Amino acid sequence: MTNIDGAREDLAAKLAAIPGATEITERRDGLWMSAPQLDVEAMAREMNALGYRLGTMTGVAAEDGETTVIYHYARPPLAVNIKTRTRDGALPSVALIARPASWAEREIHDFFAVNFPGHPNLAPLLRPPQLTDGFFRDAATAE
Amino acid sequence: MPFTIPIGPFHPALEEPYKVRVRCAAETVEQVNVTVGFCCRGIELLAQRRNWVQAVTLIERVCGICSSVHTTTLCRAIETVAGIEAPARAVYIRTVLCELERIHSHLLWAGLAAEYIGFQTLYMEVFTLRERIMDLLERISGNRVHYGMNRIGGVNRDIGEPAPVIAEVNAIGAAIERQLVPAFLHNATVTPRLAGVGVLSREQALEWGVVGPVARASGVDTDVRSDFPHGGYSDLGFRIVTRPEGDVQARVVVRALELLESIRLVTEALRRLPAGPLCAFEGVPVIPPGEAIARAEAPRGEVIYYVASDGGECPARVKIRTPSFVNIPALETMTVGQQLGNVPLIQASVDPCLSCTDR
Repeated sequence: MTNIDGAREDLAAKLAAIPGATEITERRDGLWMSAPQLDVEAMAREMNALGYRLGTMTGVAAEDGETTVIYHYARPPLAVNIKTRTRDGALPSVALIARPASWAEREIHDFFAVNFPGHPNLAPLLRPPQLTDGFFRDAATAE
Repeated sequence: MPFTIPIGPFHPALEEPYKVRVRCAAETVEQVNVTVGFCCRGIELLAQRRNWVQAVTLIERVCGICSSVHTTTLCRAIETVAGIEAPARAVYIRTVLCELERIHSHLLWAGLAAEYIGFQTLYMEVFTLRERIMDLLERISGNRVHYGMNRIGGVNRDIGEPAPVIAEVNAIGAAIERQLVPAFLHNATVTPRLAGVGVLSREQALEWGVVGPVARASGVDTDVRSDFPHGGYSDLGFRIVTRPEGDVQARVVVRALELLESIRLVTEALRRLPAGPLCAFEGVPVIPPGEAIARAEAPRGEVIYYVASDGGECPARVKIRTPSFVNIPALETMTVGQQLGNVPLIQASVDPCLSCTDR
């Protein structure tokens, strides 16, 4: 077994113990997990403990009004992308667990109006003052 | 009694808008709050209203300095979704452009840093070198900025005569080694002004998730070119530059030495430029449903692109994480305890790009 295989199996085993976790799949651009009901705070703590760095988070508007949120982690040579969904427009903040999440969550709040309970300062980051939270979602609806 | 000084949003460090509120006790900084978002153009949203070809042109406008790495990374993400392999010649040309762009970016920053510390002679010497790199980029692409070299599946233009480019790059490299590197490593005007200023420890660098030269100057050996080898880097090899000190001087030294590695990479890529086509296909690309991410090392650090397609003419989602987005917040820790007069220099040392950050 190579080191990469070992790291991948170690990651899979640790994540499998987290509530809401699903199977990890391997793609050309890294490892992916799609877990709509994932306990993201437990996930963030585990990824920290395993030495993975949170690169950023991506928000993608879903048709039912919820938002898909993807956490992009890396610990070379592994890149891990963990996909979950908001619940009633909210997802627990992981900003106090992983600092890079702070601005990423503020950006997703600006663009998609996702609430992140527990965020220390969910103030607008990039949103122009004449627009409202969720202006990416509003623009898509206006089309 | 503590007092608060608002710096910005106009020209707090470089000529882009952001705001820093600095709370001081006498001359010592106690707390810093950074505000960005003054030039949010909604580029990610606009990309969803452009077709795939137009989106590449749009994304080139994320940044005027590192435009090539943005379109390269976007195209790589799209190619992953579509299962396209760019031809080897195109991959090498992309590598050449990205490294020339890094040399340009680092020289631009070094010149401005020299100006900030009042070393006008060095500033002019550095900008003379920068101009020669811009001439090279213009010779290759036809443009001084926004090179328009990338397309989905490959590149738009060839480098037909590598030999003169190699000769000029090596001449510039020799000048960098002779003039710039000794100035930033040993000059008595430079080093006392930078050493020990704006320290970010290795632990803090890891905690804040900083990337690029800022991370490497704090002893974190991270660089996408070695962490996730792609494109020409898999064949050309790569030597990472790190320093343990974590101060402004270390950030300067890392960038200065990285210039030499970029010179080597450009030279090697041009010497080994594979024969073959410039693009994997002819005509308009059809992108099937799917999603992918791509990473690359921009001059300021790791850039991440997430692309989703629903099979339509336009991207369903383009997400861009630029390096300044994670480097700028760390100003809030590296300025605490510093002298107020050093704040502009510390800000400049992370090479903040607000065009990238705000998008």
